[in-house]
Amino acid sequence: MQKRNNYTEIEDFLADESFQLWILSKVDEQGWEEWTLENLQRAKLVEDARLVLLAMRAPKSQLSSNEVHEALQETWRKIEQREKLSQNTSKIKKLKIQRYWISGVAAAVLVGMFSVWFFKNNIATTDNVVTYNELILDNDEGLVEQTNNSEKSQIVTLSDGSSVLLQPNSKLSYPKIFTGNERKVYLSGEGFFEISKNPKKPFFVYANEIVTRVVGTSFRIKAYPDQQNVEVLVRTGKVKVKSNDLVRSAENEEIVLLPNQALRFARKELVFNKITNITQDPILVSSVRNIEQLSFEFTDIPVAQILQTIEQAYLVDIDFPHDKLKDCRLTTSLSDQPLAEKLKIICKSIGNDTNYEMNGNQIVITTSGCN
Amino acid sequence: MSQILKNKILDDFILWNNVKNGNEKSFSLLFEKYYKDLISYGNSLCPYAEKVQDCIQDVFADIWLYRDSLQDNVIVKAYLLSSVRKRIARLHERDHVFRKTTTTDVLEFLFDFSIENDLVEDEVTAERVLLLNKLLNDLPGRQKEALYLRYHQGLSVDQIADLLDVNYQSASNLLHRGLLSLRKEWKGSIPLLVLISSGFF
Repeated sequence: MQKRNNYTEIEDFLADESFQLWILSKVDEQGWEEWTLENLQRAKLVEDARLVLLAMRAPKSQLSSNEVHEALQETWRKIEQREKLSQNTSKIKKLKIQRYWISGVAAAVLVGMFSVWFFKNNIATTDNVVTYNELILDNDEGLVEQTNNSEKSQIVTLSDGSSVLLQPNSKLSYPKIFTGNERKVYLSGEGFFEISKNPKKPFFVYANEIVTRVVGTSFRIKAYPDQQNVEVLVRTGKVKVKSNDLVRSAENEEIVLLPNQALRFARKELVFNKITNITQDPILVSSVRNIEQLSFEFTDIPVAQILQTIEQAYLVDIDFPHDKLKDCRLTTSLSDQPLAEKLKIICKSIGNDTNYEMNGNQIVITTSGCN
Repeated sequence: MSQILKNKILDDFILWNNVKNGNEKSFSLLFEKYYKDLISYGNSLCPYAEKVQDCIQDVFADIWLYRDSLQDNVIVKAYLLSSVRKRIARLHERDHVFRKTTTTDVLEFLFDFSIENDLVEDEVTAERVLLLNKLLNDLPGRQKEALYLRYHQGLSVDQIADLLDVNYQSASNLLHRGLLSLRKEWKGSIPLLVLISSGFF
């Protein structure tokens, strides 16, 4: 504090935050008034500084708090518009990419589709079936829906940074922005979820008759409307599954699933079947997707190769300056992170001026090279 | 650093982090806290009030839409002022695309310092402050803007250099030259008054 005894220029005072506070807010925490009066020379300097500081003001803005509030509302409207816009453009882009991909990927996609399942209609079951449409009607958060009618999976990024790899013939409804203390989404079909961690806001996936609750983890849910079972398979973290209150289930218990455990819910009987060893289950084994097989543990691996792994897992296109990153290697663990988080970590590790932008399945990384 | 100032910055950090985590309430608080200040800064760079409002709202919309990629340790005020300046500069560039002025340096800082009546109680002080106001307002735009950012908005020299897109030394020179010429003019015009001025306290 006693550094002020050495002040010789107006600047010294102007730059002193506690001096500013004294002049502008009349809060004299450090006894400026007394200190000033100790010495006449000093008082003169302080007075000059005071006047200069006072001269660098302007009357407070005339905006009323109402006007500020309106501007805020206008900003939220802009945000909504731009979110809609980016969804539309990403759809257009997706269509273009699809054409390009179809030839190459068609064979790899959807080998493990379940054709074995067949309907057994009887009166008892129709009561119990909960459809996707019923679930969505139940929600009043203003949901948006992403439908994948293409032949390859699509990546959906949610407002909390979580990502969902949506398989063909599947759809996902989710609020534009998660509000409140719960994050709820609705699935029909199959999706691989990577949820960004937020213990304060648990994440719920409603799919047919079951509800899956997670905090932060990755898992796959398969809940097609025309199949007899619903499946949940966990890759990392922990999830809890119970039946939806809309069905009158005999056992209203909660099943806890750990990594590499799965659960099959028989829709007709409303019975849970836990599968602790998924490698022994031929149906689950046959339907493993890219994203579940690829390892995201990298030790001294070229960045280009890491990005390629991400391209394969999420079926996205990543554009980056190859020459600038050709000598960059990373050691990092990206398992259990949603796509946005993975990209963020990679960009951060490469260097401060590295950023990514994501538009649908198209990702562009800008960088000037690694440190 | 004083406790009050520390708390201010701490508040900003908390709000910023909440926004990063998708907290709408904190976003609104941040908006309400800085909107007026940004409007007055924006208006001094661009005479079209509506465009300025647009720019500022866009800056906030960007913050929300790209909150996932926001940096962690940000001095929020400096970040906002700088973002607003960049947006207005971009607008300016676009409007002038057919002329040959392309750099962002051409933004002219038109802020008018003036007396803030709440702070000035006596007439003698008011008179002097008004004179200083005039001298400040006559300074070259860049010097004036640097002084405004340093002592009106309270940014550090580093942050100003960043915002004006110059190096530390240049920013520091702008400030120094501004105050120097201010002092010269000032002493020239009221040598006697200064001598008697100590009576204020």
